[in-house]
Amino acid sequence: MTRWTAAALALMLTAGIALAHEARQGPNGGKVVDAGTQYHAELVAKGTPEVVVHMSDANDKPIPADGFRATAILVVGGQTVRFPLQPAGGSRLVGTSPVAVPAGVRGAVQITSPQGATVQARF
Amino acid sequence: MTIRPFLASLLLCLTLAAPATAHEGHDHGAPPPPVSATIAPRADASSEDFELVMVARDGRLQIYLDTFRGNEPVTDAAIEIDGPEGTVKAEPDGSGAYVLPAPWLAMAGDHALAVTVQARGMVDVLTATLTMPAPAVAPPPSAGRWGSFIDGALAADLRHRISDGAWTVYGAVAAAFAAGFLLALLLRRRPAAAALVLALGLAGADPGHAASPGPAPAGAAAAAPRDLAQRFPDGAVFVPKPTQRILAIRTLFTEENTHPRSVEMPGRVIPDPNRAGSVQASVAGRLLPPPGGFPRLGARVAAGDLLALVQPAINSADATTQQQQARELDQQITLVERRLERLRQIQSVVARAQIEDAELELSGLRIRRANLDRAQREPERLVAPVGGVIASAQAIAGQIADPGTAVFFIIDPDALWVEALSYDVHAFAGKASGRMADGAMLRLLHRGSGLADRNQAVPVQFSIEGEGGALRPGQLLTVLARSTQERRGIALPRTAVVRGANGQAIVYEHGNAERFVPREIRVEPLDAARVLAVSGLGPGRRIVVQGAELLNQIR
Repeated sequence: MTRWTAAALALMLTAGIALAHEARQGPNGGKVVDAGTQYHAELVAKGTPEVVVHMSDANDKPIPADGFRATAILVVGGQTVRFPLQPAGGSRLVGTSPVAVPAGVRGAVQITSPQGATVQARF
Repeated sequence: MTIRPFLASLLLCLTLAAPATAHEGHDHGAPPPPVSATIAPRADASSEDFELVMVARDGRLQIYLDTFRGNEPVTDAAIEIDGPEGTVKAEPDGSGAYVLPAPWLAMAGDHALAVTVQARGMVDVLTATLTMPAPAVAPPPSAGRWGSFIDGALAADLRHRISDGAWTVYGAVAAAFAAGFLLALLLRRRPAAAALVLALGLAGADPGHAASPGPAPAGAAAAAPRDLAQRFPDGAVFVPKPTQRILAIRTLFTEENTHPRSVEMPGRVIPDPNRAGSVQASVAGRLLPPPGGFPRLGARVAAGDLLALVQPAINSADATTQQQQARELDQQITLVERRLERLRQIQSVVARAQIEDAELELSGLRIRRANLDRAQREPERLVAPVGGVIASAQAIAGQIADPGTAVFFIIDPDALWVEALSYDVHAFAGKASGRMADGAMLRLLHRGSGLADRNQAVPVQFSIEGEGGALRPGQLLTVLARSTQERRGIALPRTAVVRGANGQAIVYEHGNAERFVPREIRVEPLDAARVLAVSGLGPGRRIVVQGAELLNQIR
């Protein structure tokens, strides 16, 4: 129950600063944003086609990404690229972009949980 | 047996009351929950450049895209939606919105949507979650026995009335509940009577309201054909995007800056002293029209144009003097003529110089005599001293014009000044602006300030820069002159500031995409078009600068 309350509170807080869109720095060198009310997602891109999304819960504790599916929609060089992400062990979802993705890329990732609910993270 | 009608009536009341409380109370900043059952399900999203609203209606998704800062519609964007059924492109629907078929809207629950927007050389991905409400719930089992009375249309009508805020309905429901309960007690085995009485009570509750138009939504899934703007109890206003487009709501992204302090003064339009002229007669006389007549009012004249003639009037004393002079001259002429005649007869004995002197004297006397005759007849010519337009004319043929009275007044309409009265001593910077009573703006330039008091104030003169428009001397206006002092604040157009219901100055802040929140502010004059918000507002807000007056009228 407290977890739900915390998640709800987190949502309310982020809703208030939605315009500011303050992304936190994650442990893997990417930006951490909220994905729905239950998850946090950290997107890591290093100038290569490989893009990794690290999943964690509302308390930033990594959770296994098995059973998750995701689609990334990223803006690279004024164009949008779409590609799927697959679980790759641990909390990682890995996908390969058709073009090299620079660090700090903007875009969104749609994440479908094993339960079938779809949440989104906007970077 | 008495418990059953009681429960049934209670449950009915609860079911009906639920949607009424659903649209009360909001967090600032949090996405607004559905305002009422008459509003179609919707979601909004924004980035630094764009703001979009998605509305689910009739199995289609309507998308309204605007710029984030200015709230200007973006109608030439390429929009793609990543939804439950893959990527779909949205097409413009001709009315400024974008539309795409979305059969998945029939599924209740949350739909995560990523919207890719490509417009104005920018690409952006926005995310939003569209929550489709569950279809209208079936009546609870305990209400089943008389469910046929309270089905479909009646229930929808009830909800509509309640969500409309007609509080009399609550009274009617309570009264009907009590009456139905009593009746059911009497009839024992006919609890349906309670519902019947309830229906009757509602029908008679508010006949004016019952006749009012407005679609009754048959449950939340099939919403009204269009959403209506409405005001929340906290004063915030919900304005659907189509209505925002009609009202042409535009916003300004506030920035704090240093602005020169300005001084407000009453002023009036005066003619430029170097480009206006008065036409006056120098002698008393009778006014005569020049060839072609007097110039009419408003006629354009050039400097040197003949405007009128004044035939000098000669009083009897003057006339007698002139007659005497004429007789004297006549007499002298006769004497000199006779002397010249005699001298010519004895040419051989007198000096030639004597004859010449007499000749000169005679011609001089004749000229003086002729001038005396002409001076009586020659009128004074009144000419235009400057070019311009005849602003006032008092000329009537035959009228006696006194020296000193203005027959014509000429003004150059392209050269007007403004004279304002300053009750304080200020050091004015060069530029100033003027606001006419009808809201028109003038650019002014400070020309000089007087030092002599006039009505306990000092006259300050400004010239009008650029096109003055249709101005006339004497018009009143408010002059806002910049002083050399400065202060910090947020500059807002005057149109942004409106009066709240309690008379306070307020502005509307664009909170969420379709929500406007009134903010109390304190303003100081800045110039004719803008005011300076010195408190109540911070930088980085979106403030309605166009259409605020219309927003303020939404009840």
